[in-house]
Amino acid sequence: MSALSRDQLRTMMGDVLEAQGKTIPSSDDSPLDEIGFRSLDFSELALRVEDELGSELNFDAPGLRAIETVGDVLEFLEQLQLA
Amino acid sequence: MRRHPEAVGTALPPGSGNRIVIGGFRGTWADVSTASLPAVAAALVETHLAAAGAAWEHATSPRETLIAGAGRVSDDQAQELRDDGFTLVRGESIEPASQQREAVTGRLWLLTSGSTGRPKRVAHTLQSLTTVAADQPPRRWLCPYSPGAYAWWQVVTLSLAHPGQDVVFVEAAQLDSWPQLALAEGVTAASGTPTFWRQALWRSAETVAKLPLEQITLGGEPVDQAILDRLTALFPAARISWIYASSEAGASIAVHDGRAGFPVSWLDRDVPGRPLLTVVDDELLIDSAWSARGFEGPLRTGDRAEIIDGRVHITGRVASDEINVGGSKASASAVRAVLLAHPAVVWAQVRGRRAPIVGNVVAADVVLDGPVSQAELTGWCSERLPDYSVPRRLRLLNEIPIKETLKSDV
Repeated sequence: MSALSRDQLRTMMGDVLEAQGKTIPSSDDSPLDEIGFRSLDFSELALRVEDELGSELNFDAPGLRAIETVGDVLEFLEQLQLA
Repeated sequence: MRRHPEAVGTALPPGSGNRIVIGGFRGTWADVSTASLPAVAAALVETHLAAAGAAWEHATSPRETLIAGAGRVSDDQAQELRDDGFTLVRGESIEPASQQREAVTGRLWLLTSGSTGRPKRVAHTLQSLTTVAADQPPRRWLCPYSPGAYAWWQVVTLSLAHPGQDVVFVEAAQLDSWPQLALAEGVTAASGTPTFWRQALWRSAETVAKLPLEQITLGGEPVDQAILDRLTALFPAARISWIYASSEAGASIAVHDGRAGFPVSWLDRDVPGRPLLTVVDDELLIDSAWSARGFEGPLRTGDRAEIIDGRVHITGRVASDEINVGGSKASASAVRAVLLAHPAVVWAQVRGRRAPIVGNVVAADVVLDGPVSQAELTGWCSERLPDYSVPRRLRLLNEIPIKETLKSDV
């Protein structure tokens, strides 16, 4: 399957948040700690992406600690799909 | 160490006149034609009829026997058996032992289920497998277990040892339609794993409800309150029992009060004739007279025991229960119990799934019997479990998976 688009990734991130009664903010600049998106949520989102792609993502990539906003998450997952 | 039962004699078994039904065969144990097994034989069988013949021959003449489904023995294991003095008997085919030896008279070998690894041989006798001693009311039993499995022997030895205990065997091809078979054959007692019962109620509840069951037995897997309650509601007059047994430990716990777990007062209780049960580091230990030879003394079962409200619950395997989620320890059995407590969930399997950042997340497969969304199930778990224990991936299955052992490795 081809790589997921940023919009698709955003929808999936929204699904993860919605399962916990939260809403994904419209702005990509929103800080993750403000919306309550934690490492466990990030892991779940990654698995959703893997299931959709039918293949594992390679997380041996730098920059994970710099992920602080919604946009950072989406960009990181975009990059991982290309790795 | 508890006394191990003596080897069995070769007098005609008291239940030799009990009727057995296997496919098209209808007759008594004494009517089953036998294959004239060698003195040290591994009967690798394709059918219950062949297995029953081998069991009858073992019960009525001095010999050493292993009975197993032919598909369970690999080529390497078959060679190992031959090297260890067994002649392999597969229907009409005879493969001689690599070297002949004297039979250990009365020795019965079982292959363990292999759920913990490669199947291995454990040594019993017909007597050590005959764990029901008291007289029994007349019953017609359903035996759905694989030939030669410990639970299969439990039904067979019950029938051989007690008059009035007929058996209807379920061949592998009949497993999906056993309720219809049981109804046609007038079965009044049935033994199966919780997965076996769940699958039957999910697929054929109407037919199952018509069965005149007086005795329902569960074992082979953790037995939870939800399945006991479903069966009790369907068969309020039946005695519903759950048994803890394994090839190594033997049948060690029998509970008949319709509740999951056994009373905590049974722990550390030294009563002659009963197994000594202890819990050490959350693991059940058993010292039983019914254990396999070589497994006497306190046996570490590998099964996890948890004390809840005065009952000791066997919840799963110690080694596979713990899921490390980012340093927090989730219990697969606890998550499964929460899922099964949901009215729409008829079956659940919980495991760890490798995940980035946190190492593992909790994942679950479920079979549903009602309209419920994944979000609702997640919400149900969130209200009852710590955050790290809530399944992050839920997969809905269309069928309850079941293996030849009638288990689904929950």
